Amino acid sequence: MYTLLIVQLAVSGALMGMVYALIAYGFQLTFATSKSINFGQGELVMLSALFSLTLIDTGLPYWLVVPGGMLFGVVLGLFVERAGVRLALEQKSEGWILLTIILGLLGFSAAENIWGRDDRPFPTPIPSDPVHIFGIDVTPLELSVAIGVLAVMGLVELFKRKTLLGKAFEAVSADRDAAQLMGISATRTIQLSYGLSGLVAALAGILVAPITTVGPTMASVLILKAFSVAVVAGLDSGFGVVLIGLFLGALESLTSFYLGSGWREAPGLVLLILALAVRPNGVFGKASIRKV
Amino acid sequence: MLTIDNLHAGYGTSEVLVGVSLEVKAGSVVALIGANGAGKTTTMRAISGMLRPNEGRVLLDGKPVQQFDASRIARLGLAHSPEGRKVFGPLTVEDNLLLGAFGRLPRFFGFRTRAAADLAGVYELFPRLQERRLQAAGTLSGGEQQMLAIGRALMAKPKVMLLDEPSMGLAPVIVQEVFNTIRRLKEAGITLLLVEQFAKSALEVADYAYVMDRGRIAIEGTPAHLAEDERVLAAYLG
Ligand SMILES: Nc1ncnc2c1ncn2[C@@H]1O[C@H](COP(=O)(O)OP(=O)(O)O)[C@@H](O)[C@H]1O
Ligand SMILES: [Mg+2]
Repeated sequence: MYTLLIVQLAVSGALMGMVYALIAYGFQLTFATSKSINFGQGELVMLSALFSLTLIDTGLPYWLVVPGGMLFGVVLGLFVERAGVRLALEQKSEGWILLTIILGLLGFSAAENIWGRDDRPFPTPIPSDPVHIFGIDVTPLELSVAIGVLAVMGLVELFKRKTLLGKAFEAVSADRDAAQLMGISATRTIQLSYGLSGLVAALAGILVAPITTVGPTMASVLILKAFSVAVVAGLDSGFGVVLIGLFLGALESLTSFYLGSGWREAPGLVLLILALAVRPNGVFGKASIRKV
Repeated sequence: MLTIDNLHAGYGTSEVLVGVSLEVKAGSVVALIGANGAGKTTTMRAISGMLRPNEGRVLLDGKPVQQFDASRIARLGLAHSPEGRKVFGPLTVEDNLLLGAFGRLPRFFGFRTRAAADLAGVYELFPRLQERRLQAAGTLSGGEQQMLAIGRALMAKPKVMLLDEPSMGLAPVIVQEVFNTIRRLKEAGITLLLVEQFAKSALEVADYAYVMDRGRIAIEGTPAHLAEDERVLAAYLG
C-alpha cells in the first residue's frame, strides 16, 4: 500500500513536471537560433493563460480557446523578439537580458491592471475525477497535460526534421553565418523561434491553468523550475528536458510529502545549483551557457 | 557578371580593404591570390554581405547589392563557399545540399521532388557524397566536407560562385581532386571567383587573375601575362 502511495505521488508530480519541460523546451528553441532567451517567459505564460480565460468568458468553446491562447502566445513571442531582442543581437550586445526582463515586468503590470490581482479558477471540460491505471489514480486533466506537452513537442520536432524551413532552423542553430550564405535569413529564423517559443509557453500556461488557477503570479515559481530544467538538461538537448522535467516533478512531489509542502521548491534550486557546479553545460548539453 | 568597384571594408575601426576593384565576367574563372593576410577572405566576405562594406560598390549582374544582407545577396544568385567549408555538422549530407538550394525551393513540402534532378547532378559529380548522404556532415573527412561545400554552393544554381581556399588543410592527393573538380566546374560554364594558396595551380585553371597585397590589388592580368612577371609574382606571394 505504502509503495503504491509513493508511486502515486511520483506519477502525479512527474505529470506536472511535463509543464516545466515544455517551458524549458521553449527556452531551447530561441537559444538554439540566437543564443538568447526571454527572461520574461513566465509573464508570457501567465498573460496567455489570462487571455485564454477571457476567451472562455466570452463563451468560446474550449477547443477554440486552446489554439486562440496559443496564437496569443505566438504574438507575444514575436513582440518580445522585435522589441527586446533583435536590436541587441544586431549590436552583438547582451542587452536582451535586461530588455526581456523589463518587458516581463511591463507584462506583469498590464496583467494586474487588466485582469486584477486575484487568482481565478480556469474552467475546463476535461474531467478531474481520477481513473485507475495499474492501481494508480490519474486524473484525465493530468493526462491531458502530458499528452498536450508531448504532442506539441513532437509536432515542432517533426517540423524541424521534415520541412525545409525546419532544416533551415537547424542550419541557423548550427552555423548562423553559413546559413545566411545559403539564402536563409537569420533574422527571420530567430523571429520564427521566438514565435514557436511563445506558442509552446502559452500552451504550457493553458494546460496547467485548470490545476493551478490563473492570476498574475501564477507563473513566477513555474518559470524558475522551467529554468532549472533547461539549465540541468542543457539548453541545446531537445528531449533531455522531458526526462529532467519528469524527474524534477516527481522529486518535488515526494519532497513535499516527506519534508512538508514548504520544501516543495527546494529540489529545483538544489538541482540547479548542483548542475551549475558540476555540469555547467547540462546533463545532456554540449554548448556553453556561461553567457546566460 | 560580378563587378567590385573601390571596395573598402574592415573589422571594427581597422580598415582591411582599401579600395579593391575587380571583375568576374560571365562564364570565366578568376583567381584571387596573395600572401596570407592580404585581405582575400575579407574581400569575399564584403562581396557576399557577411561584412558590410564601408565604401564602394558590388554589382551582381549589374545590380548594386552592397547594402543587402548576406541572405538576400545569396538569394539573388551569389553562392559563397566560405573559408573553412562551414558545412552544417549536425545535419545530414543531403540536408546540407538541400539547404544549398533554399532560396529556390518550397519551404514546407515537395522540396525533395523539386530538388531531385539537381541533387542527382551533384551526386554524379561527387559519388562519395551519395554514399554518405544520410551521414552527419560533421563526420566526413576534410576532403569530403570540401566536396559537400562545393556541392552545396552548386545546388543554388548561382550566377557567381565564390570559393575561398578549397584546398586548405587537405592532403596533396585530395588537393589534386579539388583542382580537378574546379576544372569540371569551369567546363560546365560556372562563373567562379577562386581564392587559393596554391597560386600556380590556380593560375593554371584561371582565365584572369588578381594579386592582392595589403588590402589592394597589386597586379592583375591573364595567367600568361602574370607568368612573365615571375619575379614580381614571387615577391607578392612570398
Ligand atoms: N574577424 C577579424 N577581425 C579582425 N581582423 C581580422 C578578422 N579577419 C581577418 N582580419 C585581419 O584582416 C586582414 C586580412 O585577413 P584575410 O582577409 O583573412 O586575409 P587572407 O584571406 O588574404 O589570408 C588580416 O590582417 C587579418 O588579421
Ligand atoms: Mg583567407
